[in-house]
Amino acid sequence: MKKTQLFTTIDAASKVVGKTWPLYSFVTSNPLSGYENMPFQKAIEKVENTLGANAMPSPEMFRKAWEGEEINRDILSKLLLAEGYKDSPEHSLSILEAQRVSQQKNENHQLDQIVTKWLGAFMDEGVSEWQMPNRQKGFYAAWRALAPYDSQIKSIKASEIPKTKTEALLQVLSSYSEEECGKIMEYHLAALPGWTGYIKLRVDEDSLWHKKNPITLEDYLAVRLWIAHKIGTKILPKKNENGNRSEYLKLAYIWLKAWEKSWQQDLTSTLRSKAILKGGIEKPDAQMVFCIDTRSEAIRRHVESQGKYETFGYAGFFGIAMDYENMEDGNTRKSCPPIVNSSYKVSEASKDNQQEVFSNFKKKIERRQFGNYFLRRLKNMLPSAFGYVETTGAAYGVSLLLKTLVPDYLYRFNQKNKTNHEHFCDTKLTKYTSEAAIEEKAGIVKAAFDLMGWEEFAPLVLFVGHGSHSSNNAFSSSLECGACAASPGRHNARMLASLANDKEVRGFLQNEFELSIPNDTVFIGAEHNTTTDEIVLFDADVPETHLERLKNLKNDLLSIQKKATQERLQDTSNSVAKAQRKANDWTETRPEWGLAKNATFIIAPRALTKSLNLRGRSFLHSYNWELDSSGAALEGIMQGPMVVTQWINNHYYFATVNNEAFGGGSKITHNITGKFGAVTGNGGDLKIGLPLQSLMETDDEAYHQPLRLSVCIQAPIKRIEKILEKNPSLKNLFENEWIYLMVMDPEDGNKIKNYEKGMVWGQHSASIAGRKKERLQQVEDSVLMPV
Amino acid sequence: MKNINKRDSFNIFKILNPLLWLLFIANALFLLLSFPNIQEWRFDEIFRINGFTMVIWTVVSFFSAIISTYSSNYLKGYKYYNRFGVFLLGFTVSVFVLVISNHLLPFLLSWAFMGLFMAQLIGIDKRWGEAREAFKFTLKYFMLGTLFLAIGTLLLAFYTNEYTITGILAGIDGLSKVVLITSTMFIILAAIIQSAMYPFHRWLLSAMTAPTPASALMHAGFVNAAGILLTLFAPLLFAASMLDLLFIIGGVTAITAQFAKLLQVSVKQKLACSTMAQMGFMIMQCGLGFFNAAVAHLILHGFYKAYLFLSVGDTVEQKSPEDGPIIKITPLQSFLVLIFGVLGAALFALLTGKGTSLDSGIILTLVVAITVGQVTYNIVKQKSLSPTQRIALPAFLSICGIALYAIVYNGVSLLLIDMPLANAGTSLSVLQISTGVLFLLGFFIMKLGVYRRVPFLYVKLLNDSQPFNKTVLSYKSKL
Repeated sequence: MKKTQLFTTIDAASKVVGKTWPLYSFVTSNPLSGYENMPFQKAIEKVENTLGANAMPSPEMFRKAWEGEEINRDILSKLLLAEGYKDSPEHSLSILEAQRVSQQKNENHQLDQIVTKWLGAFMDEGVSEWQMPNRQKGFYAAWRALAPYDSQIKSIKASEIPKTKTEALLQVLSSYSEEECGKIMEYHLAALPGWTGYIKLRVDEDSLWHKKNPITLEDYLAVRLWIAHKIGTKILPKKNENGNRSEYLKLAYIWLKAWEKSWQQDLTSTLRSKAILKGGIEKPDAQMVFCIDTRSEAIRRHVESQGKYETFGYAGFFGIAMDYENMEDGNTRKSCPPIVNSSYKVSEASKDNQQEVFSNFKKKIERRQFGNYFLRRLKNMLPSAFGYVETTGAAYGVSLLLKTLVPDYLYRFNQKNKTNHEHFCDTKLTKYTSEAAIEEKAGIVKAAFDLMGWEEFAPLVLFVGHGSHSSNNAFSSSLECGACAASPGRHNARMLASLANDKEVRGFLQNEFELSIPNDTVFIGAEHNTTTDEIVLFDADVPETHLERLKNLKNDLLSIQKKATQERLQDTSNSVAKAQRKANDWTETRPEWGLAKNATFIIAPRALTKSLNLRGRSFLHSYNWELDSSGAALEGIMQGPMVVTQWINNHYYFATVNNEAFGGGSKITHNITGKFGAVTGNGGDLKIGLPLQSLMETDDEAYHQPLRLSVCIQAPIKRIEKILEKNPSLKNLFENEWIYLMVMDPEDGNKIKNYEKGMVWGQHSASIAGRKKERLQQVEDSVLMPV
Repeated sequence: MKNINKRDSFNIFKILNPLLWLLFIANALFLLLSFPNIQEWRFDEIFRINGFTMVIWTVVSFFSAIISTYSSNYLKGYKYYNRFGVFLLGFTVSVFVLVISNHLLPFLLSWAFMGLFMAQLIGIDKRWGEAREAFKFTLKYFMLGTLFLAIGTLLLAFYTNEYTITGILAGIDGLSKVVLITSTMFIILAAIIQSAMYPFHRWLLSAMTAPTPASALMHAGFVNAAGILLTLFAPLLFAASMLDLLFIIGGVTAITAQFAKLLQVSVKQKLACSTMAQMGFMIMQCGLGFFNAAVAHLILHGFYKAYLFLSVGDTVEQKSPEDGPIIKITPLQSFLVLIFGVLGAALFALLTGKGTSLDSGIILTLVVAITVGQVTYNIVKQKSLSPTQRIALPAFLSICGIALYAIVYNGVSLLLIDMPLANAGTSLSVLQISTGVLFLLGFFIMKLGVYRRVPFLYVKLLNDSQPFNKTVLSYKSKL
């Protein structure tokens, strides 16, 4: 191995692991993003070798789906036949069930344990008071300074450890060929994919922690391989020890595909038979824009059925590529999709004549921060740690009682007594380098209406971001808005509302784009609380002329909340109180289901889906093909929101089929490490994905169905073909079957056609349509089922 | 969300929750109504109930009821849902029996069962290789502890020819020094295994395979059994004059574990180190002859630690890597710190009666004085507070804290009146004074941060606080 090749070899090898996101901004990304350039089926096979992890749904999941009639017998039989299997579905299922995953001893146990000890100590983001010494010099140097004292590695002398990481790597790898080196690196990176994934993320994001205490994959490999060498662990992996699984995987893949095709067929026949192709609401009282998130689907139905309200779906960051500076903790966090570069920063400024409230609020924050610091000091120091426990113990006893017995009461109490800074603060948009120009501000507003295919303005227009409330939940950020990089969407919503209300912006839109917003239209930012289905309006600036309308709307929102929680919790009595309890109950591991069950992304006017109950399984983006002759809006939707939904869907898929390897494992034995991550039990690899409780109803029964996303677009096929030709990375997603594409072609009688390999368009045979019970029922049928 | 455990038509918590709450309410009511004169009841010398057992029963039933209610929702969907309930009940019953046992047979059996149920909770997930290893590992400790306890107590029984604790304690005067010291040694060993003192601390650091509520129970209940054991055998410890040994064992762990806590990066490990330090302090209190203070400490620490475990999901936070503020203090401020420290000590002495005479109580008073000093020190230089607030706040906090503690301490003391020698300060020894000085030294070492410059110490403490290696990353899946 030559020095010059080191870096490129490591870079190439690093594709075997994904990125691990910190729990405080948990992005549901595809853990196998490094494999996206190969077909899904191939990737699954490859992953079994590199990560030693199964990535197919278990036979039990298939059985449940089969017995629940989610897999169509005809479709499955046809697929089996086409692949040369003559067995009946039942028989092929029993073949799958004969395969077992077992446990074996980890031959690198000692090595893994020593390495995770040092990684944990080095990468800590604020748990320890006494940090690992010399962290600022980088991981290798810091480790090198301490290693001679490490009694877990016997007789190690300072002089024998190479001075730099490069030397260490070259020393260990000197006797291996270039190809072997590639294998070695893949193997050792994949040994602890959670930790190496977090190193990758830190390097990529160049976070503040990384700037201060740098760690790279090269550091990691140097430390790991040098220790391996020293303690006599195998450097070059043995040949794959797993049994031959290619037959199993092939068969399982057919089952997966049949499951997905069955779902698509249901969707196709429902859209064909129930969809309304035209017709918005005449002169709506209010319009509300929700995130494309699957959780918006249900609340939109309830909003629409409550009154003359029109709803839209738009990516929840509301098209503002921004970071948000949080007043309460001083952190600036990304508040737009991780694939988008932030060009703006939004911060809070006092509203006119609210300066006093504002500065009091700031003082309160400062005092709270001091309080936290003060308590930490007392708990850490000798001997105040003992005095602290004795003097405060009784108060902890009372808290135990209250938090366990009356969390819902505490929630309402806290909500009532909380100061929402939105009442006396305005969001302020700046560029990182300068003030934001009027062209840009107007551009953001225009893009929103263009992408959604907006035609007329109601007197009240609400931009409704969403956020989640939960207690004692290390994974709470995974329930926030995915389009806002796991932040709540409220600040983006407020920002867009404030831009659209701006007189200057409106004037510019009128003059430059002939987009006229009526004078009596008021935009309001809002937030949909996805745990309690409450919609909070940030309405401090609404003029008196609109107060009456606002009052009516707020009344309606209360009944909407009631109905929405009734449907979601399947409970007619006290559903709101129950939801509030979930939001604040420290014993609750499933405060809400997040985006579980997501399976479809529909890009079309709302009219198309308005009469359907999509059961919270669909992302919905408003799009009107007739207003987008150039296809630019659609291209934007496919490059942005569609990719985000693909990340989310792939993440949910992998975390469900193998929760230990790609998910977070069970919450009940989590051990939070370094303020940013979770390990299970006494330690080990960092967890990389959603916990079991976000995906499974019980340890054995899945709640989320692991189906790859079916994207359904209403637009002329030609337009889509053009976009795909222009964007090979998008085309690849369909070509390699990471997600599916279905097109409802309005220029061909709204027939629904499916993308197939090589951009061929196939059609579902509609004849099987009216079979058995339909899973997608109409709103009218959605009578609440008794518990 | 539907009833997640719909398949298990049987749900043990439907019985367990009301049962445990009822038990708690009954115990608490009884305690309140008959306070402080609780008649001692004996059942054929096998069991006895008095103020001490009522306090422990009330506290244990409180923790069990909280953990049970918590778990009945927290563990929904868990494969071992009902089994958890069974172990929880088993553990609770074991502690109940342990506390009231006067005869050695139920006493030793319940001690063994308490360990067995706790190990079962640690290794409840049989699918998980590391949890199975943790079960085996911790069970070894617990059984060793039981063995030591059996040797110690049976040795006494053999020589006194008594098989009840009260009988044994009445007969220790006639025993030879060798028997006394040997048996006391074994009982102390059993106690320090239970409370994870160095060098028997490893089991506590390897027990995180337990579901979080089981950890709460472990840290709020199980480790405390050492305090109960030592309180029960207080006269023996006096007779064998082995209090100083306890004081040293406790002191060493209290200081080392507090330092080890500083470098932990995982929350549960950090809490475990904290528990070790707090248990060390409790053992120190026993070593000073203040068993009532130790009982108050174990109760209050139980509340504190259970709360921290049960809210462990709240510990995720985005922090910025800025260094902490560098603290400078003016002479006037340090004078204020000193004055407040002295006043705090005076208040403590007044309310608890400790430190008023020249005995071991002075050590506890010293701890309070330094704590009050630290509170003052931190607040007095805080710029976001007004000058009045900077003086009033530390005074207010200290008075409230000391008063709250005094209520619990005095309550416990009154209830422990039946226990022989539970509240008997010893005359101040050189050893105690030097440990007091060591505490002050530890305080200054921490304050000044000099420990940071000793890399050897960092690695030593880091390695000593690692879990048993077989309980981490020793298995992987085979396809």
